[in-house]
Amino acid sequence: MRTPVRLERRLEQPRWLNWAIPVISLVTALVLGAIVLWLTGKNPLEVYDRILERGFLGKRPLQGTLITATPFAFTGLCAAVAFRMGVINIGGEGQFYVGAIGAAWVGIAMTGQPVGVAVVAMVVMGMLFGAAYGSIVGVLKARFNTNEIITSLMLNYIAGILLNYLIFNSRSYWRDPRSMGFPSGKSIAERNEWTDYVIGGVKIPLGFLIAVIAAGAIWVLYKRTRFGFEVGVIADSPRAARYAGIRTRSTIVLVMALSGALAGLGGASDVGDFRHILDAKGLQLGGFGYTGIVVAALARFNPFSTLLVAFLLGGLTNAGYALQGPDFPSGLVGTIQGLILFTAVAGEILVRYRIRPNRRRAQAVAS
Amino acid sequence: MQSAVRMTGIVKRFPGVVANDGVDLDVRPGEVHALLGENGAGKSTLSNILTGLYRPDEGTVEVNGDEVHFSSPKDALHAGIGMVHQHFRLVETFTVAENVVLGEDDAPFLMNQQAVAARVKEISDRYGLAVDPSARIWQLSVGEQQRVEIIKTLYRGARILILDEPTAVLTPNEADVLFNTLRAMVTEGRTVIFISHKLDEVMKVSDRVTVLRGGRTVGTVDTANTSTRELASMMVGRSVEFSRVTRVNRADTSSTVLELTDVTATDDRGRVAVQSVSLTVGRGEIVGVAGVAGNGQRELAEVIAGMRGFNAGSISVAGRMLQSGRARVAIDSGIAHIPEDRLHTGLASSHSVEDNMALKNYRSRELSPFRMLRRKAIRDQASDLVDRYDVKTPNTSTPVRLLSGGNVQKVLLAREFSAMPKVLVAASPTRGLDVGAIETVRDRLVDAAEGGVGILLISEDLDEIMSLADRILVIYEGRIVDDLSADGADRQRIGLTMGGATQEVAQ
Amino acid sequence: MNTNLLVVITASAVFYGTPLFFAALGGVFTERSGVLNLGVEGTMLIGAVTGAWASQHVGGSAWFTVLISILMGMAAGALTSLLHAFLCITLRTNQTVAGLAITIAAGGVGLSSYFANIWEVAANPVDRPIRKLDVLGLGDMPVLGPIVFNQTILTYVSWVMVAVASWYLFRTKIGLQLRAVGESPQTADAMGINVVKYRYLHTVLGGSLAGLGGVFYSLAIVPLWVDGMTKGAGWIAIALVIFGFWRPGLTLVGAYLFGALQSLGTALKARNVNISGDVLDALPFFMTIVVLVLISSRFAHRRLGAPASLGVPYEREER
Repeated sequence: MRTPVRLERRLEQPRWLNWAIPVISLVTALVLGAIVLWLTGKNPLEVYDRILERGFLGKRPLQGTLITATPFAFTGLCAAVAFRMGVINIGGEGQFYVGAIGAAWVGIAMTGQPVGVAVVAMVVMGMLFGAAYGSIVGVLKARFNTNEIITSLMLNYIAGILLNYLIFNSRSYWRDPRSMGFPSGKSIAERNEWTDYVIGGVKIPLGFLIAVIAAGAIWVLYKRTRFGFEVGVIADSPRAARYAGIRTRSTIVLVMALSGALAGLGGASDVGDFRHILDAKGLQLGGFGYTGIVVAALARFNPFSTLLVAFLLGGLTNAGYALQGPDFPSGLVGTIQGLILFTAVAGEILVRYRIRPNRRRAQAVAS
Repeated sequence: MQSAVRMTGIVKRFPGVVANDGVDLDVRPGEVHALLGENGAGKSTLSNILTGLYRPDEGTVEVNGDEVHFSSPKDALHAGIGMVHQHFRLVETFTVAENVVLGEDDAPFLMNQQAVAARVKEISDRYGLAVDPSARIWQLSVGEQQRVEIIKTLYRGARILILDEPTAVLTPNEADVLFNTLRAMVTEGRTVIFISHKLDEVMKVSDRVTVLRGGRTVGTVDTANTSTRELASMMVGRSVEFSRVTRVNRADTSSTVLELTDVTATDDRGRVAVQSVSLTVGRGEIVGVAGVAGNGQRELAEVIAGMRGFNAGSISVAGRMLQSGRARVAIDSGIAHIPEDRLHTGLASSHSVEDNMALKNYRSRELSPFRMLRRKAIRDQASDLVDRYDVKTPNTSTPVRLLSGGNVQKVLLAREFSAMPKVLVAASPTRGLDVGAIETVRDRLVDAAEGGVGILLISEDLDEIMSLADRILVIYEGRIVDDLSADGADRQRIGLTMGGATQEVAQ
Repeated sequence: MNTNLLVVITASAVFYGTPLFFAALGGVFTERSGVLNLGVEGTMLIGAVTGAWASQHVGGSAWFTVLISILMGMAAGALTSLLHAFLCITLRTNQTVAGLAITIAAGGVGLSSYFANIWEVAANPVDRPIRKLDVLGLGDMPVLGPIVFNQTILTYVSWVMVAVASWYLFRTKIGLQLRAVGESPQTADAMGINVVKYRYLHTVLGGSLAGLGGVFYSLAIVPLWVDGMTKGAGWIAIALVIFGFWRPGLTLVGAYLFGALQSLGTALKARNVNISGDVLDALPFFMTIVVLVLISSRFAHRRLGAPASLGVPYEREER
């Protein structure tokens, strides 16, 4: 098969690609999105203008955007830490649910403790639950060499079923006994609800601030510590890691625990910051875990870029919620998000390959 | 006479390298034509062009007088060209018969295993290529797998066969059997292109030799009118002489630095690969382990380096017992290891030179106090080693996969020697290097031994072992089957024991 | 449990298992060629919404409408997976991310929902659904009637398909070459097999089967369009491919087993048998993990045949 261009592997990856690729991807996605909109009879400029207005401009849109961005930031970090070791954890979704379960538990149970203690307890329990759930994938991979993509996927569904069981199909601790017709979760103690921090007149959820701190901590961990060095070697070549005396199996389990803890932290923030109950339906509708993979991939698995991308996608989603109506159908935002992801994925090829015109080959092909 | 194959002015570029830079090759029908050259001389690229896997950037290819433009291996097969690759192109989970018919155009739409098996049987009887058509590939030995590859090409009626380094995986005796097969094919009028970097076997099997160096053709000579010496100087561009390295300080074998007692271990498939091996290496001694590839050498090296667990026996380094499968313990006990697969086992190839220099001592207090990395200390260590070991690299942050083979090996040697080891396990340390780099590596090994390091040199290259080792062990099917002093060692006896002949027969 | 209950469960296992089987068989073809497609869920939804649209808009006899709806659903699935093939095979992107991107872009809150909105599929019922047949008037026959003779046409198609697929994979030359491409693309390439072509064709074939599975949801099971109506069937299908060891026959057995688990909860609850439906819902996922652990050793891979190059892009001129 003759193609007009051919791909040539890059020997070195120039630094400017790190920002150029996401920008090019984003622009391409918006152009493709415009084409979809135009084909289906909408004015793309008008739609984009409204997205910008409702997602990013002004205090209220920004506040809403930060709320939608917070879970994306956590699941994005969750995906990023695992992907950086070459472990493809797509279980952020389930780890997020399980973290929410843990945080809601202590949030409901602790009624008399000082506020700070309860919030810390929720954070810790969310992380612990998420870490434990993530470790299952890590242990299976380290011990039996099972494919983590499939196991983490299966565990997402099991966690979703667990949520349904706790709220809809049992009289569990998490279910509000007063909700008879349509079952719902029990509220956490009012004093345990996380407070926002106001910066420049914009309310910033505590969860988002924790995500910023987490991103910084991850950066230090991966760039500046022995553990980070070991993770990098495992990602490059597991054989070289074993050769160097790195305990690859326990590192895999630890990274999966860390990854799960970050998603679990997101779950805790979902309970503490926003919903104040274990919302079985809402958690599952969000699809935060899967979007987190999109976020991390777009950010090329860099923790700080992950925050930025989470913010951008958060704004898009937030605008989608705000605008949803007859002339702004549901599914539109998901479609545009998908397009952004496709172009980002396709843009990755520019990082690894150079595109060259296929001159010589054309003449050498058999007639 | 019309040429079977004529390649003129072949140029093939890859990102960063020119693999073929104006190569000419002219092969007559009915001859065994050797393509001789060092690793990296462009032999494999040239044969991949001839078999349609790569397309040349420049130049022409003629087969039986007609110019051809292969765009896929299929085209080459149609033109009667078949290739036996160094890394076999076989589907491991398929049977021999399935592999033989794979990709054949004329095969019926519905597979008929019996008919194929019958044809396979016929071919294998005719050329002495014994193999069971219904066996699955992963159940076969390497030598048998090579026979399947040859049968595959003959089944398709190939008139021109290319064999890429076919003897690398064979014992000397198996190699002789292969040579007979090749001669039988030539007698029938087929043409054989035999790719090799071993002078002796080229002299033994070929009618004519074309020598490649640095991607260019040096010349073509009749085997009858040339000598090993002439071929060697054509191959490397100057006259070389490998002789037995003279040692100033003899080994002090009275103090043992490495001792294995009845060590047994399995390979990745769970089959026994190392079988109650006992051996000792003295201080400053070089002990060679000779054997055909795949007889447990890799597993033996990995067991000692702690990368692979052992099921029975014990290993001690300077009196200290090692734990099974704990590389960190082995490193801390003073074992250095140069693995066979340098780029993916010995080094993290996408990592920088400086990270690779620190690959084993990043845990030290100097490089990472309180578990935090000191990048400057890591960089300083690397620049120091780059200077001392003369590593050619743009800077210390260059990824090692961009370095040449010889410099890759230097990075490894620098790191392993700088750790002041008591024992060095070196697996095929010169494989794939050019002559200059081979000399450097050998000198470094001898220097280390004279400094008191006990070296276990595992190699499939018998010449290398004969020229470096004080003592030679022969490994066959995971067992040490012979143990003899290098002085006055009998090549023939080693060759036979490598192939599994018992010592009594050998003597 | 009495026989009657068993018959009801078996019959609905076959019914609910049919779309799972189609999607999983598609996965078998795709993965046998060495491509991992995690976009099955999104592909099924695209197939479902297209099929529903077609059944609302294509005129003619009822049979004709159903046939066209099925074909259009399959074509939509094929197009969706063509995108995956382009990303993974031509652009050599990460197959996991590409597949997830498809599910996110096309899934419950993405393109399928957008199409449903702009085509106004959800607003109208699907009034020409795929109905269960009464084959040879034997639908009322005890035991076998509901299980064998009272299914939709697509179930009978799936029975033919399982035989054809097994024959294709294990008895024909093309099947042999396909398996070689998934096992060792280097070998296949060296033997003159066009790796790119095989991968494209079978990824697209897999997508069209996923689309068919989607059509079964919107035209036979519900029959109505609901956003995200496949409710994770695509992921179950991915599990099923492993569960069935990449073999059509075992995949069909697995599909009926998973289908039975889906219907068991409702059937039991209706008869006041006290087993939590949630446990049954979770079982397929648990079982897949267990199976995965069992087959993960190298030794097992050789015997059971997980394609060795699954998920690995192939590049010829790599040096």
